[in-house]
Amino acid sequence: MTTVAETSSAGVPQWLRWLLPLALVGVMAGVLTFLDPIGWLREAPPIESVAIERTVLEEGHVRLSVRNDGPDPVTIAQVLVDDTYWNFTATDSQLDRLEASTIDIDYPWDEGLPLTIGLVTETGVVIEHEIEAAVVTPQPDARILGIYALLGIYIGVIPIAVGLLWWPALRRAGDRWIAFFLAFTIGLLAFLLVDTVAEGLELSAATGSALDGLGLFAVGAALAVIALSAISERLPKGAGKAGLAFAYLVAAGIGLHNLGEGLAVGTALAVGELGLGTSLVLGFALHNTTEGLAIVAPFGSNAKRPAIRHFIALGAIAGVPTIAGAWMGGFAYNPAVGAVAFGVAAGAIAQVVWQIATSRPGMLSKGLGPLGFVAGLLTMYATGLLVAA
Amino acid sequence: MSPSPLDRRRFLKRFGAAGAAGAALAGARTLGDGKPQIAIPPVPRGGAVLAAAESHTHEGHGGHGGLGPVGTVDHARNGFSPHEILTDFDGGEVSRDIKGQTVREYDIVVTTKDIEIAPGLFFPAWTYNGRVPGPTIRATEGDRIRINFTNTTPHPHTMHFHGFHSAGMDGIPGAGEARAGETFIYDFIAEPFGTHLYHCHSLPLRQHIHRGLYGAFIVDPKKGRPEANEMVMVMNAFDTNFDGGNEVYAINSIAFAYMVEPIQIRAGELQRAHVINLTEFDPINSIHLHANFFHLYRTGTSLVPDEFTDTISMAQAERHMIEFTYDHPGMFMFHAHQTEFTQLGWMSFFEVK
Repeated sequence: MTTVAETSSAGVPQWLRWLLPLALVGVMAGVLTFLDPIGWLREAPPIESVAIERTVLEEGHVRLSVRNDGPDPVTIAQVLVDDTYWNFTATDSQLDRLEASTIDIDYPWDEGLPLTIGLVTETGVVIEHEIEAAVVTPQPDARILGIYALLGIYIGVIPIAVGLLWWPALRRAGDRWIAFFLAFTIGLLAFLLVDTVAEGLELSAATGSALDGLGLFAVGAALAVIALSAISERLPKGAGKAGLAFAYLVAAGIGLHNLGEGLAVGTALAVGELGLGTSLVLGFALHNTTEGLAIVAPFGSNAKRPAIRHFIALGAIAGVPTIAGAWMGGFAYNPAVGAVAFGVAAGAIAQVVWQIATSRPGMLSKGLGPLGFVAGLLTMYATGLLVAA
Repeated sequence: MSPSPLDRRRFLKRFGAAGAAGAALAGARTLGDGKPQIAIPPVPRGGAVLAAAESHTHEGHGGHGGLGPVGTVDHARNGFSPHEILTDFDGGEVSRDIKGQTVREYDIVVTTKDIEIAPGLFFPAWTYNGRVPGPTIRATEGDRIRINFTNTTPHPHTMHFHGFHSAGMDGIPGAGEARAGETFIYDFIAEPFGTHLYHCHSLPLRQHIHRGLYGAFIVDPKKGRPEANEMVMVMNAFDTNFDGGNEVYAINSIAFAYMVEPIQIRAGELQRAHVINLTEFDPINSIHLHANFFHLYRTGTSLVPDEFTDTISMAQAERHMIEFTYDHPGMFMFHAHQTEFTQLGWMSFFEVK
């Protein structure tokens, strides 16, 4: 091939062949930008869109981080707080596409009540941001970080550790029941997949149009699938070791899901949308205990007991991300990060479901398989009802 | 959960308030035991708030606790200032017709114009002579009004006067409507005397009124009225995002204009305001004067007041003449008594000197 190319257009260096199309694209971009031959297509009024990426409430003060996520420049002329023109300062009020600004408002907001901030643009468009119940935004000091970590331990780490304790029973259950519990695991993960995709899409919508939340979600998902596929290719295949490797995959998938779960809980807490009661923590705990069962099911029956350190590692991989998620959600949240995180979780779960489902022929169609799958779905659904906040 | 710092703070606040109340009560008792121990100073007379309010007008913050716009409106770019509109009465080009009757002639042109109704906030207005409200047309009862009305916009427009006129001069579709580029001459006698208005009556009416096509029409009684400082206050509002509700309220179009720069009046001088409601979308608007009452002449059609009050509500096109005097210097608020409107711009001050 190389020789043919060299003879047909001798003298043209290879690097130029690579650059020529790029150079032409550059010329086209230049023409469109500077000569604006299709400008007349856009004589309609500007499309003004501003995303509110983060809200920080202090006593008597509101701070918004905003970004122009529309196609046209936006000028913020005035700010309405609860339908009242109110004094504010902005680091920048003329925002080009994707440009960000911080808006500070001294306002005597009332704790626990809704608060609506309206950004009034130059053309009179009002971009409203609703805070469902105003509470002081937690600052990441040691105490609050500790409380969020404790929360992550309660809803993520402990339940999964408890779930792992099903292993001794599972080990003596026999092959029929192992098949049941593997199918149960698939059902459970399938439910989490739907749940994660739904939440991720919701977050994608919240990121605003210019950042393309759906794209971020998809990139996250694809990365997770590719990464886990590559890892599983390199996992030991030998008898006895395959089960453990599978368990690690399931733990990783569940861990990524729990990162998202922690993120959601942390965010909701920080913006005052979640009344965190005992019943809710209990609900999460029950919900996540079954995840522990899902992790140990791949060990199979009559297998040799894996070393204790593996149980600890599995529990940590699946549970500890809840803590990280809660911290992120509480203190560094923005919808774009959330969309990526949920994409990664969804991709990971999908990959794990695929791996387990294809590990044995007839997994979901023979014996107790179908029953196990349905039982997994229903268990997740039922325990999920407990956390409907 | 253990009590958060917030709970503790609340608790302290409550406890603190209760403690203070108890102390006050105790103080009252000891005072009440004997004859009055302290001389009560005379009732304060004005002036006291002036310093605080004055300091506010030169800054952006403070006096109104954060209420109000950020920045300033470029009145020169708008081509009109709300303070000028207040006292800008247009008697027209005066001549006499063959019967010897006074004729007041006006040239009025409809244009489209982006006007800055709050700092940095522009509204795509339809205007009479480049301003909202349009020119204040003023005549004496019985004068002949002739208006050369030209429409330079793509939409049809009219001038519909509240007052007596022939059917052909009504300024409605089919009677005095000027289409794009056309001119129509309105010709009628100014009567009855009173505080009136004019507005566009083309369809869709709601759109034509709310975009800014309206103005004051003042007809003086032949006998005249006592000398006074006269003002025109058109209560209006703007639906800046065109969702059927207003985002900005004002008198004479510019939100908070008379809060940022209070209207200067003299103590002891009779004030006469022609207040006209042209608010679209909201069924009523109102005006309330602080620390004072006014004599209300309904529609301005009588020489004796109908009422003595400090608050009056009006539906769209209702208008009244109000008269009042401030006896002492000071800063006096006046505003709509729909508090929602005050927070969206209809908040004003008189600075009495």
